[in-house]
Amino acid sequence: MTETEVATAAALFEATLLGRQDAGATILLEFAAAAGAGPLKAPAPGQFYQVRCDTGKEHLLRRPLSAFGASAGQGGLRLSFMVDVVGWGTRRLSLLEPGDSVGMLGPLGRGFEVAGVRKALLVAGGIGAAPLAYLARELDRSGVTYEFLAGFRTVSGVCPGLDELRGGVSVFTEDGSRGEAGVACDGLPEILRRGFDAAFVCGPQEMMAAAAGLCEGAGIPCQVSLDSRMACGIGACRGCVKEGAGGRSLCVCLEGPVFDSRQVSWKKRTEGSGPALR
Amino acid sequence: MKNPVVLASGTAGYALEMAPLVDLSRLGAVILKSVTVEPGRGNPEPRIWETTGGMLNSIGLENVGVERLVEEVLPALSGLDTVVVASIAGETVRDFAKLASRLEGAGRLAALEVNVSCPNVEKGGIHFGCDEGATATVVQAVRENCSLPLFVKLSSAVSDISRVAEAAARAGTAGLSLINTIPGLAVDPVTRRPRLGAVTGGLSGPAIKPVALKAVWDCYRATSLPIIGGGGVYDAGDAVEFMLAGAAAVSVGTSTFQDPDRAARILEDLPAAIEKAGADGPRRLVGALKVNG
Ligand SMILES: Cc1cc2nc3c(=O)[nH]c(=O)nc-3n(C[C@H](O)[C@H](O)[C@H](O)COP(=O)(O)OP(=O)(O)OC[C@H]3O[C@@H](n4cnc5c(N)ncnc54)[C@H](O)[C@@H]3O)c2cc1C
Ligand SMILES: Cc1cc2nc3c(=O)[nH]c(=O)nc-3n(C[C@H](O)[C@H](O)[C@H](O)COP(=O)(O)O)c2cc1C
Ligand code: FES
Repeated sequence: MTETEVATAAALFEATLLGRQDAGATILLEFAAAAGAGPLKAPAPGQFYQVRCDTGKEHLLRRPLSAFGASAGQGGLRLSFMVDVVGWGTRRLSLLEPGDSVGMLGPLGRGFEVAGVRKALLVAGGIGAAPLAYLARELDRSGVTYEFLAGFRTVSGVCPGLDELRGGVSVFTEDGSRGEAGVACDGLPEILRRGFDAAFVCGPQEMMAAAAGLCEGAGIPCQVSLDSRMACGIGACRGCVKEGAGGRSLCVCLEGPVFDSRQVSWKKRTEGSGPALR
Repeated sequence: MKNPVVLASGTAGYALEMAPLVDLSRLGAVILKSVTVEPGRGNPEPRIWETTGGMLNSIGLENVGVERLVEEVLPALSGLDTVVVASIAGETVRDFAKLASRLEGAGRLAALEVNVSCPNVEKGGIHFGCDEGATATVVQAVRENCSLPLFVKLSSAVSDISRVAEAAARAGTAGLSLINTIPGLAVDPVTRRPRLGAVTGGLSGPAIKPVALKAVWDCYRATSLPIIGGGGVYDAGDAVEFMLAGAAAVSVGTSTFQDPDRAARILEDLPAAIEKAGADGPRRLVGALKVNG
């Protein structure tokens, strides 16, 4: 049975905030897994953690956050996250001080599938840049070439660290305050002519739909990272399930969050007001 | 049951999902996600919404169906050293009879939970649990087709839960399980849309604890059946409260989302909480709510 057969290396552990960096509209948080957490698997780009935001019982649901960076060195696992403050939980995380401890569950889900990819296209919108920046750094390490189109609302939202990447990076802002004025998809029609083995996309639903359409039209396999409200994060509650192409159910936390774009049904708007993944 | 702390239906999947994270062998039992005769597709997204001290869900009984439960899930659970309870949900009395007979002799199961209280399906579900006669008919149908001990899972969203409990008792249920989620609605004040794709959902978590405690207390006084009490159980103190109201065991659901190992922690803290309540074991606490002076 597909839902339950997927081997999970996810672990429950406490992590201590090492440092925080206010990166304009977003916050970068770096954690170290607490000593005694045992050997922990490093996340693959696109995998996520269920982060416990409440220490009491008012907010019982953990919040999913994609790994923005990770290293599994001598001092144990270090994890970083880029957080866009949109509501109670993300605000709570934004108020953490170094030394504070937070419950983590992960790494969860399936990340981006990069096997066999030698030339990649990365397309990000807003906080969707978090998993893709991590992917870009991993591609740098393995010597895969890529182009990275990253769109943000304004300069203060621009993902930190893009300048250090070795691939080609094009930044877009809606107000033109950095890079080109516009959205990431504006750069797609032209760049797609260069040909890529695969495209990796994360951002708001409409942006992913547009990007997937363009990539599919150009014959480039496209992987998208879906957003969904989650409760368990491990495939147990079916709370995150979305209807995919052909009426198939997509369990975002377990089978995703990264899916082949052809599996996704873009017809529906899924979140009434959800501003989370810009 | 090794001890009185169990995982509630629907929040622990088919136990296999939890097994890598939590030592299930320490718990009293795991109640599996409710299954229907055919696999269930569930409701449109979004299916969950966090509320103050709880959440709304409208999963709509998405499940693998009884056939796969028997053929795939139960065998896969054979390696787990845990008491397993299956939960069944039908749209009709015949469905319940079919489910019961398929699970008779399926192995691995210690008991059946009969879900007549799901608020998230159009047919069956809470419509049975609202009605004494219908509840009794379902219990009889299940008993005729399956020899496992039954726990009927009731909803508090009825005018008098104790009468439904009495009807279930007369029909021969071994025990009761209380309570299922309470029907609710969440609204987005900007878009004017409901927060859930199915419009309404079921409320769970600490927010419903007082309602659940009253349901347990009412049923405890009305019947002498053993009760699995739950609804917002978060810590060992909550577990003691449910025991005092009449629960022989407690179920942990939504709190598991915050901490998958919450039930195990409750179990660890339980002896101290029981002692604090002035008892030397859980049995002495059951129904020992002091109401006179
Ligand atoms: C796999 C995955 C990876 C993610 N990675 C990141 C990341 O790296 N960085 C980051 O900042 N955010 C990320 N998110 C989104 C993040 O989980 C939500 O923004 C967060 O849960 C909101 O919690 P809150 O308590 O701050 O907001 P709430 O108070 O719960 O809600 C505030 C608003 O956000 C909306 N909302 C709540 N949850 C979600 C959700 N999951 N998706 C869309 N809208 C939502 C609500 O409708 C509401 O309008 C990710 C989501 C998923 C599913
Ligand atoms: C996501 C979710 C799914 C559930 N699915 C089921 C189910 O399939 N069958 C059932 O009898 N109860 C189901 N329930 C109800 C719980 O078993 C429990 O009765 C209820 O949530 C109250 O307990 P709690 O506050 O500890 O969660 C579900 C609850 C939640 C939150
Ligand atoms: S969040 Fe529970 S199944 Fe995905």
